[in-house]
Amino acid sequence: MIKKLQEEVKKLLAEKKVNMVIGYARAGDAINAIPYFIANPEECGALIWDKTCIYNLTNYLIDMRNKKVGIIVKGCDVRSVVCLIQENQIKKENVIVIGLQCAGVFDKKGAELGAVGRERAAKCKSCNVHTPPLFDILIEDKEMNQKVLQQEDSYKEIREIENKSPEERFDYWKKELSKCIKCYACRQVCPLCYCPVCVADQTMPQWFSRSLSLEGNFAWNTVRAFHLAGRCIDCGECERVCPMGIPLRKINKKLEKEVKELFGHESGVDAEKKPLFSTFSKDDPEEFIK
Amino acid sequence: MNENFEPKIIGFLCNWCSYAGADLAGSSRISYPSNVRVIRVPCSGRVNPLFVLRCLIKGADGVLVSGCHINDCHYSEGNYHARRRFAVLKQLLDYLGIDSRRFQMSWVSAAEGDKWAKVVSGMVEEIKKAGPNKQFK
Repeated sequence: MIKKLQEEVKKLLAEKKVNMVIGYARAGDAINAIPYFIANPEECGALIWDKTCIYNLTNYLIDMRNKKVGIIVKGCDVRSVVCLIQENQIKKENVIVIGLQCAGVFDKKGAELGAVGRERAAKCKSCNVHTPPLFDILIEDKEMNQKVLQQEDSYKEIREIENKSPEERFDYWKKELSKCIKCYACRQVCPLCYCPVCVADQTMPQWFSRSLSLEGNFAWNTVRAFHLAGRCIDCGECERVCPMGIPLRKINKKLEKEVKELFGHESGVDAEKKPLFSTFSKDDPEEFIK
Repeated sequence: MNENFEPKIIGFLCNWCSYAGADLAGSSRISYPSNVRVIRVPCSGRVNPLFVLRCLIKGADGVLVSGCHINDCHYSEGNYHARRRFAVLKQLLDYLGIDSRRFQMSWVSAAEGDKWAKVVSGMVEEIKKAGPNKQFK
């Protein structure tokens, strides 16, 4: 599989179809993977693909929006490419998507855990896009096709929180969100947080407190989640990079569930469709309006 | 709970319908609770969900967003967008444990002074039951 990947990338670069390919290479610690940018076809041997390739590389596309770029993506990552196309951030003709069939990746970096005891990430346990829904080149995983990939109920944890009383829910989030140190790593790593000036950085007007108060933490995390409503593709990067271990996916997933139930909208599936909040339907639900 | 609790409600009213509706309620001498502090906006679609969130976090007991009825929007489709946005925001606030009674939405046309009075009375009633907003204090 890696051989095939390397050959395809080499071909792309040699034929000058793209200026650069973004992929994964082995890190200096010989355990983890790092993002790798290749412009020279001779370097393709460094490309790797295995369960340590946890990053969503789509983030880099925004910085290279006017270049011809090839990008190596998993099934989940490709949905953020679709979102960026929907939102006119990148042009479809500028990107060559090299899709990988993927049976799931590790949840954390190896150096944090040692080489043993690494688990499949939570997002992968409930994944249903092992084959990327959109690709220009697909690298198949012959072994994976035979494996039975059981899909867990992705909304189990969400329902647990929903079933609590409002007071319990507030206390739960108060406890979790009070850990936030406003490092904004969740924002930086998110492939869909690309505003040149983030609302959190604005000072005129300053929308919410930047201190580590309850109100500041609540405001930031609510706004971050709301800005991803109907857009989040559940790549889980925000939760992975959070140094304080806030379960951010539980907020993102809730919104994903709601927009599915309310509007039948799934993000990053169809590049021709408009983003959720850029459009409307005459029959949108309005039971909550008096 | 304090018997004398008078909720503070922030009302975002669209210029073309609800603001005129509230005005009509006043000029028709309909009496209704004076708990709503009105902020006039061009359209319910102008109301950023961030406004609502900030009001609640800063201690408002309730937030009411009111606009034109569907198909009556001065800008054709502003209220459609608002409806979609706030449907999601309402779910999110509820999920985070903020009492869902604190954020409400209504369609009040310029001719519905009595409806405006009813909406406000109903909301004040509900928020009195919910009690003061002390979650962020």
